[in-house]
Amino acid sequence: MARAEPGGDAALLRAVAAGDSTALARLYQRHADALFGYLLRLAGDRMTAEEILQDTMLAVWRSADRFEGRSKVSTWLFGIARRQAHNRLRGRVRPEPVYEPLDEPDRAAGPDELAIAAAGGTPVAMAIDRLPDHHREVVALVFVAGLPLADVAEVLAIPVGTVKSRLHHARAALAAALVAQGVSND
Amino acid sequence: MTELTCPFRGLLAEYAAGSLTDPDRDRLRRHLADCPYCPAELATWRAIAAAAPPEQRAPEPAALVRAVLTQSAFTPPPLAATHRATHPVRQLRYLASLVLAEARLIRLAVPIASALVLALGVGMVLLASSSLGAEAARTAGGDLLALIAPVVAAVGVAGAYRSRLDPAAELVAATPTSGRLLLLVRLTLVLGYDLLLALAASAVLAVTVGPGAGLTADLRLLISGWLGPMALLCSLSLLLAVRFGPDLALGATVGLWTARVLAGGEFIRDALPARLIVEAWSTNAVVLAVSVAIGIAALVAAGRSGPFTGEPGRRWRATHPV
Repeated sequence: MARAEPGGDAALLRAVAAGDSTALARLYQRHADALFGYLLRLAGDRMTAEEILQDTMLAVWRSADRFEGRSKVSTWLFGIARRQAHNRLRGRVRPEPVYEPLDEPDRAAGPDELAIAAAGGTPVAMAIDRLPDHHREVVALVFVAGLPLADVAEVLAIPVGTVKSRLHHARAALAAALVAQGVSND
Repeated sequence: MTELTCPFRGLLAEYAAGSLTDPDRDRLRRHLADCPYCPAELATWRAIAAAAPPEQRAPEPAALVRAVLTQSAFTPPPLAATHRATHPVRQLRYLASLVLAEARLIRLAVPIASALVLALGVGMVLLASSSLGAEAARTAGGDLLALIAPVVAAVGVAGAYRSRLDPAAELVAATPTSGRLLLLVRLTLVLGYDLLLALAASAVLAVTVGPGAGLTADLRLLISGWLGPMALLCSLSLLLAVRFGPDLALGATVGLWTARVLAGGEFIRDALPARLIVEAWSTNAVVLAVSVAIGIAALVAAGRSGPFTGEPGRRWRATHPV
């Protein structure tokens, strides 16, 4: 295992491997939003995302001793999360994204904005949810998990060039939504 | 330079995501002030970056860890985790325990009978050597060993294939270890034992009946008399046992070997079919390669096909899914 500064991810993971559940909580806390956001984008609904998140942390708890420090802890975590998500989502038909309505939509808004606000997202957010799986996954890893492209390539086990091209394809697919939102460079 | 060839274009997405390294970020910032294309493209990436993170909060750490620990306590680790003991020492220990467990399941009569039959053969040659003379005894010893060793091993292999009627079968079906791996371990045990027996018998004969062309040459000659036939007969026996069950394998093995013995006998020694049969049952590279191929085919087929799927496999379990 790589030498780790005290309090760093690798040190936490070593404590987890030794059976320290507090370390598991701290490790989770550091990556919670990124991990959960990524899984939520992948799964499409909160309940499934929470289940996969729990599967992921269970796998971390059980296999922390197998982390060999060849990659960053964050890359390793997202690799596990991705595997767990695939296990659970395999063969599943993705449900239409369902949004919880916002508390109080603006009464002055027009019908389009009302519909979007009721759905709880911007046109771009909704378009991201409609992307094909392999494009949505790259968008989630880059913009939700905040991983550098090189790490995304490692998690997905594909070349960095492929990550870049998927990212640009995703952006092209989002073009209409970007225009609707008033953002476009074309 | 055009929009598409701007060298900084590839960094814009990461910049919007906030995952660029400090030097790259500073370089890009300086570039953005001058470039006519990048700021507009950056705006689209920023819009995506703003829209991508879901609004919902992640579960609280305390609640999540509690759920994980509960799940860990109440669900067994997946099979892959128990199988894949990554540390070499753990792998060895796992393998040793498998071998021990399988050794305890082998009926004691089989190894004892194998040893007795071979010992009887060697004993007969030794007794006869005083009356026959060294040369004749050496030939008789080699022939006898070549006749006995293959069939002893093949019968052992047929018996090693576990029948569903085996008292341990139900237990085995409930273990996480695959039936195929167990079969492999058991075969290694049985074949290894028979191989050792045959080697020991060859060594005894080579030493006692007297060196003809030197001890090692004698030993090599004796071994080449039974090694190829043993490999071929054992692999056939295994394939038949996997496909049709141990009883049929036993019968077919003995039948095949009888045909070979008759073909090599006094009555039809020079007929072409007989010579072909004897040729097929000798020690050479082709015979050994064919035996290995048959053995692999048998292992692949184990527990998968045939009316007799005795080896507990995936389809047949002692317990039913709830």
